[in-house]
Parts: sequence; C-alpha cells; structure tokens
Amino acid sequence: MKAPLAGVRLADFTIHAAGPFCTQLLAQLGAECIKIESKARLDAFRKPHAVYGRLSAATFDQVSVNKLSVRLNLKQPEAIALAKRLISISDVTTESFRAGVMQRLGLGFEGLRAVKPDVILVSLSSCGQSGPDSHFAGYAPLFGAWGGLGWMTGYTDGPPVEMRHVMDHSAGIHAAVATMAALHQRRRTGRAQHVDVAAREVASAMIGDALILASLGITPARPGNRHLSMAPHGVYPTRQPDRWLTLAVRNDAEWLALARELDQPAASSDPRFATAAARLQHSEELDTLLSQWLGACEADATAERLQRAGICAHVSWSMLDIASDPHLKMRGATTEVSAPGIPTRSAVGAPARFSKTDRVGIKRLTPRLGQDEEYVFGELLGLSAVQRADLESREVIA
Amino acid sequence: MFRDDASHGADLPLAGCRVIEHSRTVAAAYAGRLLAAMGAKVVMLEPPAGSALRTAPPLLHGTGHSALFASLACGKDSLVCDLSLPEGRRMLEQELANADIFIDDTPLREREARGLDREAITASFPALVHVSVRPFGASGPKADWDGEEVNLLHAGGEGFLLPNGLCYELFPDRPPLKIYGHFSEYQGGSMAAFAALAALWAAPEAGGQYVDVSVQDAVLAVGAFALQRFGDGSLEHRSTRHFRYGGVFEARGGYVELLTLEDRQWSALLELLGRPAWAEDHTLQDPLERSRRGDEINHHVREWMIAHDVDDIVRWAQELGVPAAKYRTPAEVIAGEHERSRGLFAPLMLDENTQAEALVAPFQFRCTPLQAAGRVPALGEMTREPPS
Repeated sequence: MKAPLAGVRLADFTIHAAGPFCTQLLAQLGAECIKIESKARLDAFRKPHAVYGRLSAATFDQVSVNKLSVRLNLKQPEAIALAKRLISISDVTTESFRAGVMQRLGLGFEGLRAVKPDVILVSLSSCGQSGPDSHFAGYAPLFGAWGGLGWMTGYTDGPPVEMRHVMDHSAGIHAAVATMAALHQRRRTGRAQHVDVAAREVASAMIGDALILASLGITPARPGNRHLSMAPHGVYPTRQPDRWLTLAVRNDAEWLALARELDQPAASSDPRFATAAARLQHSEELDTLLSQWLGACEADATAERLQRAGICAHVSWSMLDIASDPHLKMRGATTEVSAPGIPTRSAVGAPARFSKTDRVGIKRLTPRLGQDEEYVFGELLGLSAVQRADLESREVIA
Repeated sequence: MFRDDASHGADLPLAGCRVIEHSRTVAAAYAGRLLAAMGAKVVMLEPPAGSALRTAPPLLHGTGHSALFASLACGKDSLVCDLSLPEGRRMLEQELANADIFIDDTPLREREARGLDREAITASFPALVHVSVRPFGASGPKADWDGEEVNLLHAGGEGFLLPNGLCYELFPDRPPLKIYGHFSEYQGGSMAAFAALAALWAAPEAGGQYVDVSVQDAVLAVGAFALQRFGDGSLEHRSTRHFRYGGVFEARGGYVELLTLEDRQWSALLELLGRPAWAEDHTLQDPLERSRRGDEINHHVREWMIAHDVDDIVRWAQELGVPAAKYRTPAEVIAGEHERSRGLFAPLMLDENTQAEALVAPFQFRCTPLQAAGRVPALGEMTREPPS
C-alpha cells in the first residue's frame, strides 16, 4: 500500500540541515516536498564547506532525497507571488530562516493565512520566533551550548563537548513530530497553525532530568560514561586497537552472567561487587578489571556472546560497520543508492517500518537545482512554457 | 475522528487522541511524553510495582523521586495493569479498544504471554496504530538484542565519533564518550511519535497498522552525514572530526562555542578579536587557506578568549554577527531570560510538597499554546472497574 503521507504536499523553504532533515523525513513517508531555492542564494549545503576541511558539498544528499526542486528568486515581488501560490496549494509550509526573515519577504504567518486560511507554517530556527535571543544565528554546536546539553556532556574533569549534526537532525525530527500534530489538528478543526521549533530548546529537552534538578537548586554533575545506578557501565578497550566494547550491567543477575561469560569466577563471589550499590561504590576498580578482562577479548564475538547471555553489549561502530551490517540492511535503515556519476553507496533509508503503508524510504535522490519546474510551475501552477521563459529571463525564476 | 472526545485540552493539536503507553525504556516513554505535551490523553499501563522508570536515576535525595521519570511522565495518567494475570490482560484489551495509538517496548520474546504480540493485537484491534519501540527494532537478525543508552549511541555510529574537538585534544587516550543522559533514546522516541502520527494520518484509508521503530535506526538517521561521508570515501573518526578552526574555547568564567562558516562571519570574528596583527596576512582571506591553517588560527583565538569574560564575548559576538554561544549550565538554562520569555518552563508538582520546574515541550504551537502538565501521576491514580 502507498506511503502514509501520500497526498500531503510541502512548500519547503528550509536550508542547511535541521529543516531539510524534517522535510526529508516527511518526504520519506510519502509527502510531496517542493524545495524552493535560488541560484542567487544557494543553500549552503549545496556548496563546499572549507571549514570542514573538504571541497565537495558532501552533506546535501542526506537531507534532500525524494524532494522536488524549483527556483524562485525571493528578492523579486513576482517570485513572492508565485511562492504564495505554491503555499496556497500546499498542506504545509516549512522554513528555517532567522526569525523575522519570512515576514520581511512578505511571507509571514498572517500574510500566508490571508492566502490560505488553514495554512500550517512550520518555522525551525536556532532560538525560536519570540524572545530576546530570537535574532541569534546559530549552528548545531551552538544549539547544544545554549540548550545545556553541551555542558552536561563531557568527562567529569574535562570541558563541555560540542554537539554535531545529530543536534540539527534531532531538531528536524521534533519539527516533523510537531508538523504531524498540526496536520491532525487541521484535519479535525480546519484551523491554521504556526509551529515554532527552536533547536536550542530541543537540546534542552535532552537534559530534561537535569533541568528538573537545577530548578530545585541541585547542581547536576557531568557524568561522562558513568551511570548512576549501573556498574559496570561504559566503553572498554578490547584486544583490537580502537575497537571498543560498550557494556551496561543493570542488575545482579546480569553481573553474575558477565563474570561467568568472561570466565572470572572470583569476581562473582567478590563482596565488593555483590550488589549494585557495592559495584557503584567500587566502579573505578571494576572499570580497571573490565578493561583488563576485555583487553584480551575479540570485540565482536564478545558482544554476541554477552548478548546471548542477556547482557547489554555492543561494539562501538564506525560507519564501516554500519554500512555493511545485515540487520540494518534488512530493516531498510540503510539502503544502497547509486546515480550517474555517483558510485553505489550506503544511505540512511526509511525512519520506521510500516506493516500496511509500506512504500516508504528513498524513491529518488537529490534533485538538480530547478529540475522539477515543468511539473511544479507548469502542471501545478499552470504557467505556460512562454510564461516560464519570461520569468526566467527576468530572473524571477533563477 | 479520535477515540477520546472528552474535553481534554480541546484546543490542543492532539486533543481527543487517546494513547496507551506500556513502557520501561526512555524511548517509548519519550514518545508518549511528546504526544501528551501536544494534547493527547496518554495512559501509562504500569505493573503493580510501578514502571521501572519511576526509580531510574537521577533521583532526588530525601523523596527518592526520579527526575528522569518526572520529565517523561508529566501530563500522563497512570493505570496499574498486571499483564501476568488474566484480569490484567482483559484490562489491556478494554484500554486498547478505546485507543488510537498503542506504544509498547516489551521485548519480543515476552510479548505473547502478555497478550502483546503483533498478531493478537492486529486481529483484535484492526483500527489501532500499534507502535513497537525496541533498541534494535522488532524485525531483523538483531531484533532480540537488548541495549541501554551507551550501547545504542555506539550501535548507531555517533558514540564512536565522540568526543571531538577540544575534549579529544585534552584526552586523546580515553575511551569514546557518550552524550549526556538518554540522547539516543530521545531520538528513538521522537521517531516513534512521528511514525505513530504518520500511521494515524493514514488510518482513515489504511486502518490501523503495526509500526516498527528502532532506537539504533534513529541514532543512525540523526548521524546520517557520517554515512554520507563514508560513501564519499572518508571514514570519520573522533580524532579528525573537528572544525578546522572554531569549536569549544575556554574563556574567563566559562566556555564558548564559536563557529564561523561564512566569509562575512570570518570578517566579523576578526572585528571581535580587535583586528589582530596576525590576521593581517591577506592569504587568510581564502577560506581554504584558513582551513589549512586552522590550528594556528585556533591558537590565536584561544589566547584571546581566555583573557576575556565569557558573557562579554558572546554579547559582543552576537552584536557583530559572529555565531557564538556560551556553554550554559542547567541552572542558567532554567533561569534564562530567553527561555522565561518563551514560557519554556512551568511548575511541576513531583508530589504534594515538592514543586520543581520542567520543560513544557520542545516545540510551540503559536495559535493554540500548549499547556503545562503541572504534575507527575502517582502510581495507579486512575482506577478502572475490573472488566467482567
């Protein structure tokens, strides 16, 4: 059966990573996503990023599948008029500019409501649509810093740690959740909605427990790899260089099973490790022992053996492991893609498996800039080839 | 349209949507939490001893309340339902008969005995959206594997890449580092909420269905760029995954994150640094040259940062258009003027005597503002007549 969001149309003005990941998720579940972009102000993710130390635009593809691309130079009033027509035939409009930019373009929420009374506008920004910091620009590492997640992450005796793309994408998933809720609300009430997602607030949601403590005047500690109720718990070296084993022992039974699997009978009867409280108290000694024991083990075989014994263990995987993993492939979580000029490679596939509406996942790869104008401007908006050529010559479509 | 037509937050986006949550993991509980925040009626089915999350750390000294559970359960209802007993399973059926969405994270091998297997639920409740949330999903060769947060962050590829930047420079020999708390499970949970609402969207045509969400898949999805880079021939590693210049800097009184991706931001950074002599080298106009000489640039920036107050730096930086932020502590976030102005936090009663504050939701609906939950449900506060 078709995809769950078949029939939903998005007018997508988002750029960079967070917003485009939101609309890519919706598009992977079948929404028709029309990406509105311009050669005059190219999405930074279509361009090379020297600060990442590379020349090619390597990250665009993972936020652009299944999308259609049209060009509109939003500096031109006629382009704004066309954008409004696109918005009026779309279910959802998405944007990720700084707060106030859509307004200045003439595409603010109230204006859009005038052309489409039940418009759903989803705004995803670093700091949200209101508040004293709403004009701040930011990227993923800044979201983590503002939101408190960066502070809470790190070795106890070290500095805070930078969040990377995962923070953008996490904001994108949350925006997708809110978009779906707004669609349900519109289906039920016929009303318009302006969804406001601030990426820094998504980062704050990731430390919800620490914020509750802080509100009570308690200063939450930066725990590193430690857990407050599990020991052993962490990331341990194995016999292979840079091949780490992650381990989380939740209770006494799992501890005894671990000692048995690692052939450490003395440890299973050692009173220092007999209870969870005792193991926590002696967690440093435990970590030293585990590093010794696991240091003699082959990582992958040990993970499998421990899992069979009911212990939470997994090797710390690089993308080499992930790209070749049969489990992820079978689930469609990874999928192979190829295109002219692009050798076959692994890409992230559908975000979930659906028993009925199962036509989800990657159906087409990154669009060329403006490749779908005949369909969008021609078929959907009814512009003739002559009209389009005229708009191109006057750099409205550009 | 939804099953619950009571007046529960009638204006809210998911008003009328009824969700049954049977959770022991943060991922499933977070999915329910997001739906509850948007106005769904979410009923947690708990065993007689309470959800395992009720005792999950961090705990408050004295009361023993779990701050984690409070952050996940606010806005939900609690119903005790012992699925090891026939009457508990009948209660489950009664609840599912009136639900739109069922979220369950029970390990696969335990499902059948509790009446939670996919086939039985599909047969009895064809209109129900049944969402399974498991560490490695409910299908595929590792569906039976179990994992906690530390395992899942690494199974999805992000753990291997942390820490990076300054932290890695300081401690290159330490094991990889996890992100604070339950980052992976939050990704799995938000993906589950997204997939649940998508399946519900399709329900008028497709009816109910089974949705299989994996926390590992969700971690990989948010880390997709690393897979993209692998396809380009570059295997990312925490030792090399740092911005060529920028990153985390120690300042007086705290840490700053600084990242300049665009040329105009670079110019603004030089302005911030007071147009230093070293930057007069015109070859640094070229972003590629800056990239090559990133270590040298960072050395200069570090010297400047450590000599200035963190709050001054971020204020000047934002005035000049340099993307920079202070690494804020949880207390600073809670007290933040911006957050206050946006109503991000609201009072939360942990019990009759303990009032904390908690995040309302990580998104806002400006036409129908979300309402603060106000309280954490006591175990089994809802009561149901035992089904006959």
